[in-house]
Amino acid sequence: MPKLFVDEREVTVPDGATILDAARSIDVPVPTLCWYPKLPVVGNCRICLVSVEGNPKLVPACATQAADGMKVTTESAAAVRSRQGVLSLLLERYPVEQIPEGSSRNEFEEYVRRYNVPTTRSRELPLRTGDERREDPIIQHDMSTCILCTRCVRACADIQVVGVLDVAHRGEFAQIVVGADGNPEHASCTWCGECVRVCPTGAIHDIIPMAVRAASGEMVERMRSRDMPSPDRTVRAVCPYCGVGCQIDLQVRDEKVIHVKSPWIEEETPNEGSTCVKGRFGTDFIQHRDRLKTPMIRRGWIRQGDTWSYDASRNGDERWGRRGGPWDLVAEEGVTAKRRPRTNPLRTNPTGPSTLGDPQDRVAIPDDWYEPFREATWEEAMSLTAQELTRIRDTYSPEALAVFQSAKCTNEENYLLQRLFRGGIGTNNVDHCTRLCHSSSVAAMQRAMNTSAASGSMREVEHESDVIFILGANTTESHPVFGAAIKRAVRRGATLIVCDPRRIELAARARIHLQAMPGTDVAVMNGMVHHILAMGLEAKEFIAERTHDFDRLRDAVQPYTPERAEQISGVPASLIRQAAEAYARGPRSSTLWAMGLSQHSTGTDIVASLLNLILVTGSIGRWGAAMIPIRGQNNVQGASDVGAIPMFYTDYQTVTSPEIRHKFTSTWGVPDERVPLTPGLKVTQIVGAGSPVRGMYIMGENPILSDPDVSHAEQWFRSLEFLAVHDLFLTETARYADVVLPGASFAEKDGTFVNTERRIQLTRKAIDPPGQARQDLDIVIELSNRIGLPTPFENAAQVMEEIAKVTPSWRGVSHARLDGTGGLQYPVDSPTHMGTAFLFDKGFPTEDGKARFVAVEFLPAAELPDDEFPFLLNTGRQMYHWHTGTMTRRSFALDARESTPTVELNPADALTLGVHEGEDVVVASRRAEVRIAVRLSKRVARRQVFIPMHYREAAANLLTNPVLDPYAHIPEFKVCAVSVKRAEPVQLDAGAQGRSVAVQGD
Amino acid sequence: MGYPYKPHASETLVLSTHFGDPEARTLKGWKDRGGYRALETALGMDPAAIIGVIKESGLRGRGGAGFPTGLKWSFMKPDDGKPHYLCCNADESEPGTFKDREIMRWTPHALIEGCAIGAYAIGAETCYIYIRGEFTEPLQRMEDALAEARAAGIVGRNAMGTGKTINVWVHKGAGAYICGEETALMNSIEGKRGNPRIKPPFPAVAGVFGMPTTINNVETLTAVPHILNQGGAWYKNFARSDNPKSTGTKLWSVCGNIARPGNYEMVMGFPFGEFLRDICGGALPGRELRAIIPGGSSVPIINMEEADRALMDYEGMAAVGTMLGSAGCIVIDNAQSIPRQVARLARFYAHESCAQCTQCREGTAWTTKILERIVAGNGTAEDLDTLLDVADDMTGKTICVLSDSCAVPVVSALQRFRGDFEALITKKTVHTVPVVVS
Repeated sequence: MPKLFVDEREVTVPDGATILDAARSIDVPVPTLCWYPKLPVVGNCRICLVSVEGNPKLVPACATQAADGMKVTTESAAAVRSRQGVLSLLLERYPVEQIPEGSSRNEFEEYVRRYNVPTTRSRELPLRTGDERREDPIIQHDMSTCILCTRCVRACADIQVVGVLDVAHRGEFAQIVVGADGNPEHASCTWCGECVRVCPTGAIHDIIPMAVRAASGEMVERMRSRDMPSPDRTVRAVCPYCGVGCQIDLQVRDEKVIHVKSPWIEEETPNEGSTCVKGRFGTDFIQHRDRLKTPMIRRGWIRQGDTWSYDASRNGDERWGRRGGPWDLVAEEGVTAKRRPRTNPLRTNPTGPSTLGDPQDRVAIPDDWYEPFREATWEEAMSLTAQELTRIRDTYSPEALAVFQSAKCTNEENYLLQRLFRGGIGTNNVDHCTRLCHSSSVAAMQRAMNTSAASGSMREVEHESDVIFILGANTTESHPVFGAAIKRAVRRGATLIVCDPRRIELAARARIHLQAMPGTDVAVMNGMVHHILAMGLEAKEFIAERTHDFDRLRDAVQPYTPERAEQISGVPASLIRQAAEAYARGPRSSTLWAMGLSQHSTGTDIVASLLNLILVTGSIGRWGAAMIPIRGQNNVQGASDVGAIPMFYTDYQTVTSPEIRHKFTSTWGVPDERVPLTPGLKVTQIVGAGSPVRGMYIMGENPILSDPDVSHAEQWFRSLEFLAVHDLFLTETARYADVVLPGASFAEKDGTFVNTERRIQLTRKAIDPPGQARQDLDIVIELSNRIGLPTPFENAAQVMEEIAKVTPSWRGVSHARLDGTGGLQYPVDSPTHMGTAFLFDKGFPTEDGKARFVAVEFLPAAELPDDEFPFLLNTGRQMYHWHTGTMTRRSFALDARESTPTVELNPADALTLGVHEGEDVVVASRRAEVRIAVRLSKRVARRQVFIPMHYREAAANLLTNPVLDPYAHIPEFKVCAVSVKRAEPVQLDAGAQGRSVAVQGD
Repeated sequence: MGYPYKPHASETLVLSTHFGDPEARTLKGWKDRGGYRALETALGMDPAAIIGVIKESGLRGRGGAGFPTGLKWSFMKPDDGKPHYLCCNADESEPGTFKDREIMRWTPHALIEGCAIGAYAIGAETCYIYIRGEFTEPLQRMEDALAEARAAGIVGRNAMGTGKTINVWVHKGAGAYICGEETALMNSIEGKRGNPRIKPPFPAVAGVFGMPTTINNVETLTAVPHILNQGGAWYKNFARSDNPKSTGTKLWSVCGNIARPGNYEMVMGFPFGEFLRDICGGALPGRELRAIIPGGSSVPIINMEEADRALMDYEGMAAVGTMLGSAGCIVIDNAQSIPRQVARLARFYAHESCAQCTQCREGTAWTTKILERIVAGNGTAEDLDTLLDVADDMTGKTICVLSDSCAVPVVSALQRFRGDFEALITKKTVHTVPVVVS
């Protein structure tokens, strides 16, 4: 702990700290340009040179270790003279005339002002140049203002671990280049914007995709972010996309969110200020013109007095019937000819001339979709909804009603909505899309160790784990910020083992890639456990002290020799052995998985077999040995935590216990018998065959695209007696609604989200919802009160008070505590408890504190390729889109990057089929067929194809198999048999695009 | 007089004994000339004892810095559990210097022997010889010799049959002067861009691949076998009596406006004036010597009055305000324009700047532009002050000394020959070659 003097102030710093660390710890502002927190120190700008007593030369504060007794003068005459020299040398090649008189636009110019350097240049040297990304729709460069600090190079290489940027050439010709040829696509750019964040001069800047009022007052289209006038306010929010839970700063001007900035890298946030392309450039959907601004009621609903009735003769157009409209069904649209994909990421120039047109028009909802509706007042919409919910409950039973809640809405909203349906209506038919993602993981985790969430933290994986085993998770695309953390861990020296049927980016960086056939993970896991037992590598003490039923596991895995596992999965036995040994030897092995394991008809078994592997090696309950099911939506963990699932109240308290029921009903002020003691129906049962449900309320979900077998789902929703949809846009589901309620986006409300590591974070309201759209919380509160459930809340903070009261592990949570922090990882037992970074160091939350092995046998997927359908279809996410695309496809940047659906096909298969890159194929399953363009990719194995789930016009879920896992009722999204055939070319005319996608300018 | 001519009687031949003798290149020829005896001796010695002999000899780094070699070797801690590396800096790119080239061309086995002894002394099993990319012939000679040495079991897994591992590899540079800077050289070996690293940590702590590394010049390592064969005391005797700090012989590469350019091997402390005028033959007919850059282009330029006073060792050169450097002696006579020569040097440094540090990247380029403008007859009165200002910014403030190296000729030339610059500025004349002032 050296003690030194900085500007005559005594300061003690930890060993290894630099002079700069010491100065910053006492707020002495040493100027820095190339230095940036957490980036490798290169010490090349030389502006932080300071004087140290006894040292004849100036020393770089950023790169010189503090030593005991050192006497540092940060603003000595020599240091100031040197800084002026550095700044004037940089100004020699800087467009000095742009620097505003007497002020500054960026960090660099601030130093120019601070050190009174004349803003003149001799023009002996030319302005700097570099790769400009001139026609890039998202990130552009103005290299005349580059000062070659190389922050961007290091941010790209060391934070995001991509390495798009570098310094080329030398001497005066040194410049920042984008890859080898200036094409970011060829250099694997992910458009994360890390370079934009760290640039100290705005040389690297993003393009604001909307018109913004400039300082002069005029509206400017596509303004460079660095020219942006200062925002009216900046509001801290939580990103609306994946489960990493990145905090982002929304910059508001003229009541519009015009730009996203990331928090300062040193702030305590889950993302350390990083974002991915979606978080930084994908939030402009909140200003999209498709946003619903007034409540709408389907034509034909007539109010007489206080009573609403449906009059089919007045529905506006007889062609539509009771619940139709002037649109193609998703299945009809699936077979239409598509616009050719604009780019092939690896072959053509992505940044061609800006023929993008305005995505506001291009992906907008066609005007005629609104025709079956009329605008209504909130009073009308609410009274109709309340009347119909009450009527269906009274006519049939409470079980005839169901609600789909939202993993994109806050905990407070989700809590109130399940409270409304449980306490107000009297049904447990409460569910949300967790059913379609991690319900099987939760079922397996509940069975084995009675838990429902990650045991550890993302930081733990990044910094502590020796082995990272990741299964069925394309983290670098689906959770890019966490993916980058894993890549950093690999670079630190952690061993990465990837189990994935596709050769994803992480697979290329892995020590071992187990490229198993989809759905054969049980065999791989059992084979690994078999080998671990054979080698005697199991954690004997852990097994003896902390688990039950080990003998049953040993018997069950006995037949699964690695050779047998190879026969089933196609993974070489030697790799299974290597992976097993590496994982078991750890010593600190973390396990991450996502949809690749869970979305199978044997999903619960698959996860159970993985949990066996975790338990048999004791890879849990220690710092550095984390078990993380990676969550796909920003609040899918939270929505489950606050009871938006049919068998649990908040905190996974069972609905079957009368005592627990009493706790809730007494809190809500309703009679005990109002809420049944039996679990309700799950998403897939509600939409499934024989469903008793007649009326539904859907908040912020789009089940018609997200459920398997879309054709069935679309028909089913049309058959309902009443459907209320509460959303931002007129989605594929909302177009069938009787009442459409305009809600608020993440930027328009206060509330909390829970990320994949149990971190409860507060998101703040930046702007008001557009038009008459209302806060979702207000809508649910009003509806609750109309239904007759007393709901006396005025804001989200009050709702959180009630949640904390009934949720043991959230007891210490309140908005006041969360405000301005990086959040709290529950359990938070009391208002002073600091949260829990990792769980199970002492015991599992079971009755005796022990976990249980659940022996599982391999079962093949329900539908495997055969002669008629010889390909195996896998579905999932892409980097640039998210879920059913309602938000991402309305973002300028994301749409610019990936605007059309594509199927990934192995080039060898394409050769056999006679199709080329970009050509259409028809992919058919036993349920439907879609026409979709080919993207050749060696990521997919032969005889496998991959279709992303985001596109209505080629909906992957038309094809998927609706067979369900028996425990969790999760559908088998990841395996079904399809055929792939070359599609007959079609000459597209302007209208042939599928009715919903207007083509402009492309 | 050194190769390609017959040696001058005043030379002391140690390293250059076999220059011009093709047979010395082969393993057999080298062994016939006493080669690899020193390695055999060394491998039977305790490494600390070898370092002791080198310390006794007073051998100092011949690459330019003049750091005592034995001391440098003693920084490598034995038994620290880490692999050690020896790097031989054969990236000889300093303008005016061409001594290492001749060593590698004529006596490649001498260098290999020195490398092997050095590696053994510092506990390294691997030695990299980093050769300048443009050195096609020396590279070939080194590779041929290495192949012979490997085949004969002199280096490799079982060096000289002692069971010790001494691997020697040749690594070819790709044409960057800066890769002769020791840490840039290490980055280059690692496959990275050849940017110098911040020091500390010094190479003895974290060098190539982050491991303790010693880096020595070709000439330094080549002197080692001779010292082991004949003893530290023998080598130490090559010194002037009043200065024991500089010992041994030194190869001098002499080029420019001089009657007999070439490589000369001189004992430390020889009078510089005599060397230039007698041994090297003095000025070309009808010309006069005017200025000397005695130690490679990075050292201050001196005038003839200073040169005549100087003694050819580290301290003797420092006494007249310049440095021994790499002993690449550039001679400038009265037919040359000094500003033009300085501009040419600045252009070299601007071209070779790795562009990390602000002062170097911008300063070398700006200096060059100003100097070239002055030489073109478009100088202004403020230019000389600007040059000194920029040179001040460039001195002592950057990661490596390339920036300083560019400032040094500018500042020293302005100190000693300011009139030449002023004449160009005021008279707007352009110096054309040859202009013989007699």
